[in-house]
Amino acid sequence: MDAIEVIDLTKRFGDNIAVNGIRFRVREGETFGFLGPNGAGKTTTIRMLTGMTGITSGRALIHGHDIVRDTLAAKRLMGIVSETSNVYDELSAWDNLVFTGRLYHLGKAEIRRNARDLLETFGLYGRRHEPAEGFSKGMKRRLTLAMGLVNSPGVLFLDEPTSGLDVQSRRLIRDVVQDLARENVTIFLTTHDIEEANVTCDRVAIINQGTIAAIDAPEKLKQTFESLQSVEVSFDSARPGLLEALRTLPQVNAVQKEGDKFRLYTADPPEVLGSLCAFAKEQNLRPISITTRGPSLEEVFIRLTGLSVGTKKEAGEADAGLV
Amino acid sequence: MPGWFEQISCDLGAAWAIARKDMKIYYIKPSILVSSLLFPFVMFLAFAIGRNAPAGTLLPGLLAITLLFSASSIEPVSIPIERRTKTFDRLLAAPVSVRAIVLGASLSGAVFASAIGIATTAIGLVAFRTGIIHIVALLAGLALTSLCFSTMGTLFAAYRTENVGEVMSLLNLVRLPLLFISGVFIPLASMPAWGQTIALLSPLTYAHDLILFAFDGTTLFGPVADTAVLVLATVLFQAVGALLYRRSRE
Repeated sequence: MDAIEVIDLTKRFGDNIAVNGIRFRVREGETFGFLGPNGAGKTTTIRMLTGMTGITSGRALIHGHDIVRDTLAAKRLMGIVSETSNVYDELSAWDNLVFTGRLYHLGKAEIRRNARDLLETFGLYGRRHEPAEGFSKGMKRRLTLAMGLVNSPGVLFLDEPTSGLDVQSRRLIRDVVQDLARENVTIFLTTHDIEEANVTCDRVAIINQGTIAAIDAPEKLKQTFESLQSVEVSFDSARPGLLEALRTLPQVNAVQKEGDKFRLYTADPPEVLGSLCAFAKEQNLRPISITTRGPSLEEVFIRLTGLSVGTKKEAGEADAGLV
Repeated sequence: MPGWFEQISCDLGAAWAIARKDMKIYYIKPSILVSSLLFPFVMFLAFAIGRNAPAGTLLPGLLAITLLFSASSIEPVSIPIERRTKTFDRLLAAPVSVRAIVLGASLSGAVFASAIGIATTAIGLVAFRTGIIHIVALLAGLALTSLCFSTMGTLFAAYRTENVGEVMSLLNLVRLPLLFISGVFIPLASMPAWGQTIALLSPLTYAHDLILFAFDGTTLFGPVADTAVLVLATVLFQAVGALLYRRSRE
């Protein structure tokens, strides 16, 4: 059985369609990234999947439990870490966890055991009796994640878990998420950090203007955009007119200057490598480094969401193959 | 264990957890406790100065007003604040029914107002050298009035806003007129016919009547009718509150 099944899910706010008939499945134990620009419908989707917001039409099932008809059973299986660190500032870290445990109908002993383990895991046990209002942003974020895990959920919804955090908290949270994935917990992750999704997720969905633009494994998504492959070269000296000269090389679609490097976009990197070597010899230039690169997930994201110059054709290719 | 029994048990457990959390965060604070205890004395001065009535006869009205304000004042503040800080989302995301959320929020106000009511009664009894005739009626009056008006406050907080002022303005549009149409300031017998008709719609009328019965044995409707109306009003407020909170999620 799928951990999450979403069927034609739609949310309207008046005339505005925030989420438009999206469909996808998340397998048990999978780490699933949900990416999209601001206002694309990520948070609305997460709020519908977790029962915090009503659904206009369509269905969402959590381990087979319909979030509308069988809400409480579905919610019992979930942990939710929202974008805001929504801890009760006036309560201590311990009381925050105990209260959350009570909301999930856990027994006293289970609450105490889970609270202690989670506070130790997140490095907050020593300050468990202090009110959360004295905690740093990173500590509050760790406490929020601990509260999302107090009921040992089978499905964990993470909304921007590491956004704006220091390196230490970021790494700790990533490690915990990876440990959970190893323990077969299904993770539904929304993030702006494309690299985070790239290294963490088994599959990602990209949502734009309320519809899913693509769903696939990060590496497969990257392969879809052949024209985003590139050759990166750095020469021992910079000359005026070099950028324009590189643009004239065969098979080069575009050239970008990035610091002391030039990036030549092409669908055929080996061909460009050959002509680049000939060009360097001809121009009496010495290449310091040459690297071939595939497209990054960020570039795929930008193309699919139309945040930068991109071709509809490529987005269409992705749609056809991936959704 | 039958499903419905387990559900009720879960709802009650969650409601009590919410009530305890609210009491800890919003009620058991020195500033709230002091202002809540001072409120009846300020109201007493407002009542007593310039009136010839014996001070002891003012106690039932004073108690009814104290319960109305202490029970209905905190949730309309705390719920919009929790919406703003997104902690209210925790309740919406948890496996807790909307009726348990409404009950939990109301219970905290009811427990707090009952405690303030008991303290006010104790001080009033000593200061005015008066007595209680029907202790059970008084305890029922304290508990039911507190729960009824705390539920009313929770119901108004269902208005979907993060702005405390908006909720309080709406609440005061209802709460302040209740003082004048419920026989607390002006005895019902002295009101015009239309005033007496409107008074019948106010739960405060029955709360005051029940508390009056507890202190001096006089009653217009009888303690059973007063109790029944307060219970019905509470159930109605709970049901409408749950409906409005459910709708506010749409």
